[in-house]
Amino acid sequence: METEVKEAQGKIISAENPDITAPADWQPVIMGILCNWCSYAGSDLTGTSRIQYPPNIRIIRVPCSSRVDPWFIIKSLQTTADGVLISGCHPGDCHYISGNYYARRRFLVTKKLLNFVGYHENRIQFSWVSAAEGPKFAKVVAKVTEDIKKLGPLHRYKKENF
Amino acid sequence: MDYSKQIQEIASKLFAENKIDYFVGYKQNSFDDSQVPFLITDPAEIPKLVFTDRSVFNLANYLKPDHTKRKRVGLVVKGCDSRALNLMLTESQVKRENVYIIGICCEGVLNEKGEKAQNCVECVMPDPVVYDEMIGTPTGKREYKVNVDIRELATKALEERADYFESIFENCIRCNACRHSCPLCYCAKCCLDQETSTLYHGANTSSGAMHALMTWSLHLAGRCVDCRNCEKACPSHLPLHLLHKQNESVIYENFQQHLAGMEKDDRGAFYKYSLSDPDDFIL
Repeated sequence: METEVKEAQGKIISAENPDITAPADWQPVIMGILCNWCSYAGSDLTGTSRIQYPPNIRIIRVPCSSRVDPWFIIKSLQTTADGVLISGCHPGDCHYISGNYYARRRFLVTKKLLNFVGYHENRIQFSWVSAAEGPKFAKVVAKVTEDIKKLGPLHRYKKENF
Repeated sequence: MDYSKQIQEIASKLFAENKIDYFVGYKQNSFDDSQVPFLITDPAEIPKLVFTDRSVFNLANYLKPDHTKRKRVGLVVKGCDSRALNLMLTESQVKRENVYIIGICCEGVLNEKGEKAQNCVECVMPDPVVYDEMIGTPTGKREYKVNVDIRELATKALEERADYFESIFENCIRCNACRHSCPLCYCAKCCLDQETSTLYHGANTSSGAMHALMTWSLHLAGRCVDCRNCEKACPSHLPLHLLHKQNESVIYENFQQHLAGMEKDDRGAFYKYSLSDPDDFIL
């Protein structure tokens, strides 16, 4: 996979498929699904600490990372989003004791399955961010945005009317 | 592999002792050498029961309907079917005292071309895991092999694989036969039946089919026993096993070599967790 964003004639060329191009100022839309107790508070800390991070992420708050149904991921990718970032508490820190352990199993299988049917693995990302990790959240969002910018706009399995 | 005689004997014994209300077996199809599932209530029909290497369907599926659910049923199961039945018992869909299970030590069934079916070549458990009566000689558990199609697809480039799957999903007609034919899809109200949810994508397009088949295969992940009833039921002949085998191989590799329905009271890979589950894909 290419390590830098390819730009030709003022256009971004997708690393996934060279036929897909986007204007040079194209910005990806990333769906962020954050757990209420750690990552959502962590993202709040990022904001209150005045740490800059890319504005491409649109955040949804869920009670726990194990609340995330694969439907959330599929629906996001089929409609507007070019990538999904799901974030929850670190293992052992779950507010509901073991929710993120169950979620971790499901995430692995979901990610591998979506990759298997044709989504690039970087489009579906997971992270553990605690309520105290404001800088880490900014870093994660920057990394995910950078990864998805390289891949270009998502064109697979799009829902026409939603 | 021809166990028709033994099955007929057992069925007539069960009816004579009034142990069952229904018996589910296989019957010869009238127009070719394939077989169809056969549900009997009348002992006079017992001579029609057969079991050969053409007995491909998973009869555990016939414990789902209302008319058999609360009745005493005798049924014939092969190795994979017994794993599905084991899961149905664990998930409280069937009462153990209501079923009389005739387990067959399976030697593999044939596909429509007359060759040994792919899931039988790769079978991990040809012997029944739950039974009242066993027919044949058990050969024991075999080594797990990653499906040959999965291995082949994994070597292909992402775009090539995506094109292939898009062409598969395009052919789906959303008839839900895969769901109806699956013994483990027993929800009275399936999430794929709802039309009002904004999350549900009901369109008959490749993206709608992708949504439905992804959902369906993820609900069966860690539970699918690879009986391939869905594939036999699919009117568009979609290779549905690809999705299930992919999940199965990921689960086997990462979650303590978990295989669905092998042990009693094992509800599936997503109902438990281990502290040492892989974490390297998480940022």
